[in-house]
Amino acid sequence: MATASISLRAAGRTFGATRALADVDLDLEPGVIGLLGPNGAGKTTLLRLLATALPPTQGQVRVLGLDPEVPAERTGIRRQLGYLPQEVGFPHGFTAFAFVDYIALLKEWTQPAARHAEVRRVLGLVGLSDLGSKRIRAMSGGQRRRVALAQALLGSPPVLILDEPTTGVDPEQRVTLRTLLAEIARASVVVLSTHQTEDVAALCERVIVLDRGRVRYDGPVTDLTAQAAGRVWLADEPDPAAKVSWRTGTGRYRNVGTRVRDDVEHVEPSLEDAYLLLRGGSPEHEPAGEAAS
Amino acid sequence: MTGWHLDDDTLRRYVERTDSLAEGTSAEQHLLSCEPCRDRVNAAVGVIELSPIDFAAVWERTRDTIEVPRPSVLERLLRVAGLPAHEARLVAVASAFRGVWLTGLAAVLAFATLAAAFGHARGTWLFLAVAPVVPCLVVASSYDPRLDPALEPELVTPYPALRLILLRTIAVLVLALPVLLLLGLFIPTEEPFAWLLPAVGFVAVVLAASTWFSPLRSAIAVSSGWLAVVPLLAARSGSPEAVLQARVQAAFLALAAASFVVFLARRRRLTQLRPWR
Amino acid sequence: MDSRPGDETLLLAVAERDMGAFRTLYERHAGWLAIRLARRCNDRDLVADAVQDTFVAVWQKPQGFRGDGDIAAWLWGIAIRRLVSRLRTRGSVAAVFENAGTAPAAEDQVLLSVEYGDIGQALARLSPEMRAVIQAVVLDGLSAREAAQLLHVPVSSVKTRLYRAKAHLRAALAEGPS
Repeated sequence: MATASISLRAAGRTFGATRALADVDLDLEPGVIGLLGPNGAGKTTLLRLLATALPPTQGQVRVLGLDPEVPAERTGIRRQLGYLPQEVGFPHGFTAFAFVDYIALLKEWTQPAARHAEVRRVLGLVGLSDLGSKRIRAMSGGQRRRVALAQALLGSPPVLILDEPTTGVDPEQRVTLRTLLAEIARASVVVLSTHQTEDVAALCERVIVLDRGRVRYDGPVTDLTAQAAGRVWLADEPDPAAKVSWRTGTGRYRNVGTRVRDDVEHVEPSLEDAYLLLRGGSPEHEPAGEAAS
Repeated sequence: MTGWHLDDDTLRRYVERTDSLAEGTSAEQHLLSCEPCRDRVNAAVGVIELSPIDFAAVWERTRDTIEVPRPSVLERLLRVAGLPAHEARLVAVASAFRGVWLTGLAAVLAFATLAAAFGHARGTWLFLAVAPVVPCLVVASSYDPRLDPALEPELVTPYPALRLILLRTIAVLVLALPVLLLLGLFIPTEEPFAWLLPAVGFVAVVLAASTWFSPLRSAIAVSSGWLAVVPLLAARSGSPEAVLQARVQAAFLALAAASFVVFLARRRRLTQLRPWR
Repeated sequence: MDSRPGDETLLLAVAERDMGAFRTLYERHAGWLAIRLARRCNDRDLVADAVQDTFVAVWQKPQGFRGDGDIAAWLWGIAIRRLVSRLRTRGSVAAVFENAGTAPAAEDQVLLSVEYGDIGQALARLSPEMRAVIQAVVLDGLSAREAAQLLHVPVSSVKTRLYRAKAHLRAALAEGPS
């Protein structure tokens, strides 16, 4: 296998009769990689595969050269891994500090002084250093998400798997998060899944589009965006020839279609336009609404 | 708030403790209501030679007292029992040790014991039905994903999942069994500990079953099965002691051993997420 | 206009478990509290422990401040009682610092009589033991029992000294300036 940080070869995962993931071939290097796709596309399943939370039913997975199917190597991977699941519950009555401290214990931080310093460090990274003693159940959804993110950052792992890290986080915090992840990605592989194309556009160099368990696109964000060049235009009414049309904040309609036309008011394509085009204007995906040009 | 303030000289004498009682008292009274003068005192006292205490160190200790979670009673017990500090903390943090759970189970047990103590044969059957089932229910709740809300991040840490499950199981048994044994003494029967082997057997079955199904499901299935069987046994043999003869006990022992073997053989399944419904 | 948050605002934030506000509170008050405590007890470790206990108590029950009076007074009330508490559990005697000071110079004496009037002089003429009792009971507001713990003397001694000190003061004041 290649010397990539993460490799998948013909990887797949089946649950009973459902094929959640099929035929995935990927090589991931340090940087920020975005995973885009509608609900049910297999994003969470793929992330769980990478995080060693689930074994593949087909194909192979290698993280940092180690095979998660071999118990000793799986532990080795887990020592260098940080994982933020899509949903994290918290033990009853825990404060933010107590929870991150608990996960730090599981991550083999046995010395109290070093562990407490590390807990404070990661809480600081997510902007919660003043709220360490607040009970998690008294926190907002966005704050809870940040606590969950903090535990993933313990030990500055070389592999960071984040399932919807920006959900419920307010816009200011999103900016901080973007800066934080960009910094981490200098030396680590950061794989994050999201519904928001703006996050991918702002944060990721590379994007993988998943649909119904298969990889539809894998490459630089700029290249994907370029696929929609000349295929996005504005009009006063929704254009029937377009694949997708929606009303923008200015009152005009943004249209995205497969055929390149000359006699319309073209605009610069955004990642979202390209994504919609890729998905074929499938009714499952609804555009964000505001034009981002 | 303008007006009268401490002059520099008085302040210096106050901080250096070379003033008289009257002066000092006057200064102290003033400080209670004047923030700018307090700031000046703080600044003066911040100078190393005049500093009465190490302010940074006291802050650290204060912050630690507040932020760092205190060990619970169970945690301290486990430490005394020989577990390293960090492992004791790990084991103590389990849903099964939530007050609500324990209170509920204690209530059920108390009821069963009272029934047995006053209700004679029928009461003894009730105790016999409930007692063996309690340990496996508590064990299941200590690592079931539905009750352990932080399961996913916990799972993908280097700490051996199996060790955690077994440690929690042992900790729970160490807590639950003596209580049950004590309550068993109130039962008017010649074999107050005869339910012990069935209890161990059920725990082993649940451990083994949790490599296929979720722990709580397995425990509920086992418990329901047993609770369904007990009335049939009661109808058939009348006296509880008949059920607890050596043959039956031996069967439970064999069940426990076999289940544990199965558990060990399939233990790897517990180190990753199961698509439990 | 000073835009820094008031102590009451900080206390509200502390009730919401804001460590940053708590730290600011510490930085604003630990200094003067420590020096005031140190003027009653020369054991630095005890003073440090008392300061720590004070702030932990503030964190645990910020709503203890009812909004009446100065927060500083409330803090001092907690601090002095924590010091007494520490002394009680200490066992051996922690030498309580006697702020006897040097005899004031002539010009200071004039100042004293101008600024503090007769009381200052009357106080200065009391013995150190009686001064200490007056400071603890009258000025710091401790109970006789607490004062006994602070000064490490029996409660009966406190009461006797207080009685005598008050008698002395009355006599000195009745006598008029010397």
